[in-house]
Amino acid sequence: MSKPILEMRGISKSFAGVQALKNVSFRCQAGLVYGLVGENGAGKSTLMKILAGVYKADAGDIIYKGMPRLSASTGEIIASGISIIYQELALVPQMSVAENIFLGREPRTSMGLLDLGRLYARSDELLSRLGVALDTRSLVSQLTIAQQQLVEIAKALSQDADLIVMDEPSAILAGSELDQLFDIIAALKAQGVTIIYISHRLEEVFRIADEVTVLKDGEVVDSRPIGQLNRHTLVRLMVGRSLDEIFPQTDHEQGDLALIADDIATDTILDGVSLRLHAGEILGIAGMVGSGRTELARALFGADPLTRGEVRLAGATPQWKTPSQAIRAGVALVPEDRKSQGLFTALSVRINVTIPILSRLSRLGIVRRQTEEQVVEDARQRLSIVMTSPEQETQYLSGGNQQKVVLAKWLETAPAVIILDEPTRGVDVGAKFEIYKLMRQLNDRGIAIIMISSELPEVIGMSDRILVMNDGRVAGELLRENADEERIIELATLGGAEAQSA
Amino acid sequence: MNALGGIMRGGAGGRALFLRRNGPIIMVYAFILLLVVIGATQSERFLTERNLANVARQSAFLGIVALGQMLVILTAGIDLSVGSLVKVSILVSAIVMNGESANVVPAILAALALGVLVGLIHGFLINELRIAPFIVTLASLVILKGIGLTISSSPVGKASREVMMFYVQKVGPLPVIALMFFVLVILTMLLLRYTVFGKHLVAVGGNVEVAHLSGVPVKRTRYGVYVICSLTAAVTGLLWLSRMGVGDPAIGDGIELQTITAVIIGGTSLFGGRASVLGTLGGVLLLGITANLLVMLGVSQFIQGLIQGVIIVAAVALYKQEGD
Ligand SMILES: Nc1ncnc2c1ncn2[C@@H]1O[C@H](COP(=O)(O)OP(=O)(O)OP(=O)(O)O)[C@@H](O)[C@H]1O
Ligand SMILES: [Mg+2]
Repeated sequence: MSKPILEMRGISKSFAGVQALKNVSFRCQAGLVYGLVGENGAGKSTLMKILAGVYKADAGDIIYKGMPRLSASTGEIIASGISIIYQELALVPQMSVAENIFLGREPRTSMGLLDLGRLYARSDELLSRLGVALDTRSLVSQLTIAQQQLVEIAKALSQDADLIVMDEPSAILAGSELDQLFDIIAALKAQGVTIIYISHRLEEVFRIADEVTVLKDGEVVDSRPIGQLNRHTLVRLMVGRSLDEIFPQTDHEQGDLALIADDIATDTILDGVSLRLHAGEILGIAGMVGSGRTELARALFGADPLTRGEVRLAGATPQWKTPSQAIRAGVALVPEDRKSQGLFTALSVRINVTIPILSRLSRLGIVRRQTEEQVVEDARQRLSIVMTSPEQETQYLSGGNQQKVVLAKWLETAPAVIILDEPTRGVDVGAKFEIYKLMRQLNDRGIAIIMISSELPEVIGMSDRILVMNDGRVAGELLRENADEERIIELATLGGAEAQSA
Repeated sequence: MNALGGIMRGGAGGRALFLRRNGPIIMVYAFILLLVVIGATQSERFLTERNLANVARQSAFLGIVALGQMLVILTAGIDLSVGSLVKVSILVSAIVMNGESANVVPAILAALALGVLVGLIHGFLINELRIAPFIVTLASLVILKGIGLTISSSPVGKASREVMMFYVQKVGPLPVIALMFFVLVILTMLLLRYTVFGKHLVAVGGNVEVAHLSGVPVKRTRYGVYVICSLTAAVTGLLWLSRMGVGDPAIGDGIELQTITAVIIGGTSLFGGRASVLGTLGGVLLLGITANLLVMLGVSQFIQGLIQGVIIVAAVALYKQEGD
């Protein structure tokens, strides 16, 4: 066996009483791809942040390229050849794409000034090597999240690293973008770059990893070559029990018409979408990132003004033009970008979960603390949220648990129609199953669900009907019985008319 | 084109974007133009070379500190101490100079050293002790003011002859002090556009966490920007000495609010990450010309304050409309 490029030995770390990592050891050979998996809150991101120098381990050693690594700043660690694509996007919205890519490592002229020519030339070159057509001068705030993710990847590649950590890079990529990512990983591997790949989508891990390490509750459960694992055993290692069923079965009846949208269009990409949604139904929305799925959700919810068409509850006239009116009419939206749209990150779990229903929990304007705590406790159990206490600030929850808090918050409003934009992004297999079960329960209570998802198995497994979007329009509608991945991808990439003739 | 390329679109069209981003700044300048027209038609003294030179000088006094303030605000910070620092700077330099030409250089060095020291202390408290900039510089406002009044509650020291001459010196029709401000405006633009430090200011203000993760020297950047801001205040203290001829302890009060006002009118976000040098210049000129006009038209002090308040609210409302 050749010498490892990285060895982390006996790493422990706790945060204010929570033991996030316990005596974790992890080693990597140069030029291999390592899958790092585990439930939400298992400690994956924490381990990688220790590697990146963001956190200091309480105990343990890091040996990198044969040398013990003593304390170093994030900048020095990047310079030593370790780069990280963080789970939560790490870009400065007010800066351009190129400025972000080279932030902290700006090319300079001989006089020490910023070399703008080289900055843009190298960024352009980098993006074109990745096959991404994007103006490197546009501000990051103008990009979609998927585009931002690609910028993150470009940033990591620009560092010419020997070791690249990707913390759920695929969470916001879909279909061919994902293939593109895997091509990049293959190319890097061929150049001898080591990759640590974190993902909750196990099929991806099987596709690219050479070796898989499973973390559970801050400890390493096992590390095995991929050849010695199958999906079943991997899930058992992660969750601690078997989980054969992925999508809970259902035999619910489709109810009456609940929500109607007629030929709606917005200033954004949306251009004439009509849909009918029934009580107790899950309508899946598939499509490439940028096809208008999120814009559709926002338009239905009144977050973007309509330039044409109308949205209404069945049997009623249109009642809402703004999100607050929509919520009052019984429509909820769980947004995709939880950090900026779904959570008060500096506030406690308790406040996040109960804020939409405070009036229900209060008498004469005074919030009944006990009822409030009961609501949070119910949510914690139902969604198995891992937190130290209801008072924990949501910014310190693991990514998947943040997502559960967002879901819990909206479920408390007891809506008639609930729009879920990427509801299981970053959520572990066990919790995914819980969320699916919850969606079914909502169906049984007659709640209509619109689910936007980039994960095709999820769309196909959960939806009663599927609308496939392309370029701001509906390219086709599929019933669950005759939906398969090829058909969806065809509609999503070619659009309706061309797919028919193809 | 591959599928990945297919979904990528650049930003909105260039010109529309330019107008959207800079619309309010263009409005500020349009408003300045309007004020000039009003001034020219309502008072024959307004457009005289003498008055315009005065407006330019006064704008420079506010503008130099406003540039420093803008850079601090760009990092999502604030510096409330600049007014008090101007006060201490004029007192210290006046005392050191004591009317002697030979003491000019030591006096300038003393003022600059004072600026560096105060800036470093701000940086230390904000970086190392993690105290909010608002609190740090509020404390500093009070302390420096106290120091100033302890040094003297009546005018002290004296400017040398050359220093007093500096105030009235001109290059062609332009006062040297205004020229100095103009050069600093250009330098600040270049700083933001062409230096790594400038980009780091944006990054720290835009998202300090991201800046840290990317290896930006966040602490050094903060030290730098607070030192620069304090230096602009120290220099302004020297300019006041040149104007007053003595160390007048009444100088400096309220400069912090005026500079913040100018920066806000100029479209710089108080939340950091976005700044406009041209906007700040516009804000400074707007305040300078308004004050000059109101005095000329004989408007009372109280009404002057009222009008300034209205301008702030109007400007910020305008940016909000355009921004979203
Ligand atoms: N800065 C912090 N302060 C307090 N607790 C923290 C902090 N960062 C992480 N934790 C806690 O440490 C544990 C591990 O979190 P971590 O983010 O590493 O999980 P993860 O395996 O990456 O999960 P996910 O799959 O959801 O991203 C969690 O219980 C989390 O709440
Ligand atoms: Mg994580």
